[in-house]
Amino acid sequence: MSTEHAQPVPNSVHKVSDEVEVGSDLDFQRRWWRFERVWILFLIMVVLDALGFFGRGWPAKAHRWSRDGTMRVKYERIERYRRPSVLTVEFGPNAIHDGKVRLWVSETLVTPLSNQRIVPQPASSVIGQAGILYTFPATTNPASVEFAMEPSSVGVYPLSLRIPGGGTNDENHRHALEI
Amino acid sequence: MVRIVGRRPGKQLTPFEFVLIFFMGGVTLTPMVGNDHSITNALCTIVAIALTHFVFAWLKQFSPTFGRIVDGTPLVLLEKGHWQTETMADMQIQEEDVMALARDQGLKTFEEIEYAVLERNGDISIISVQGKS
Repeated sequence: MSTEHAQPVPNSVHKVSDEVEVGSDLDFQRRWWRFERVWILFLIMVVLDALGFFGRGWPAKAHRWSRDGTMRVKYERIERYRRPSVLTVEFGPNAIHDGKVRLWVSETLVTPLSNQRIVPQPASSVIGQAGILYTFPATTNPASVEFAMEPSSVGVYPLSLRIPGGGTNDENHRHALEI
Repeated sequence: MVRIVGRRPGKQLTPFEFVLIFFMGGVTLTPMVGNDHSITNALCTIVAIALTHFVFAWLKQFSPTFGRIVDGTPLVLLEKGHWQTETMADMQIQEEDVMALARDQGLKTFEEIEYAVLERNGDISIISVQGKS
């Protein structure tokens, strides 16, 4: 056998009882066992997830009323990236005018919340004022609209909803919601 | 790809290397069954994993500490008739596990075992009193 690419090396492998070359390092292993206690964090993470703190559970679910009670929005505080979620808007009697409900939603709904579907389909949608103005046909209460979203970005995104009344700023503010 | 990455006997594979190989298999499936039917993406992912394996193997060669962190160290479970209870408890290994392996090697009694060592790849090596002499 050629020794051209071979060289003698000092034997540095740790021996047990000075006779068996094992190479164990119990001091290192003890430090590692201490580090392994990090699994408690994993357990906490799983428990929080099971309780719904990362979405799809009771802490994530929320609903808000507009100041004058014309609109209620049910939504999830924490959405999951590229996973479907539903935002429901319920309208009070004051929201329906001439058999129609008009709802302005900020453009956050399109990007990054990626609205996929609206049920029922709006009769019309108009882009403007940094958002979209939807018009839905409505006859009687309760009337509600569902937005099926699938967030395409990670982060904190405010969403504004408003029932345009054409009144004063204060009136408009009372018909509005920020979530 | 596995052949290019390196040659290592199957029984010598450490848990970390097992994960890499299964991971490589998993990402290979992506262009076949997933929504992303991109061969380029699949190839780049597989090469990235293979490269990670290569870099880790290279680092382990030059830094024993890095090797210990990634693969751990062998641990003595039984030494001349004394169970290493601290090691066994922390590694969650029972005496029965060691005895089962001893029987597998044809050893009948506890007294015939001189050393039992938990290796880096998860195997338990048994050194018999007879084998040592």
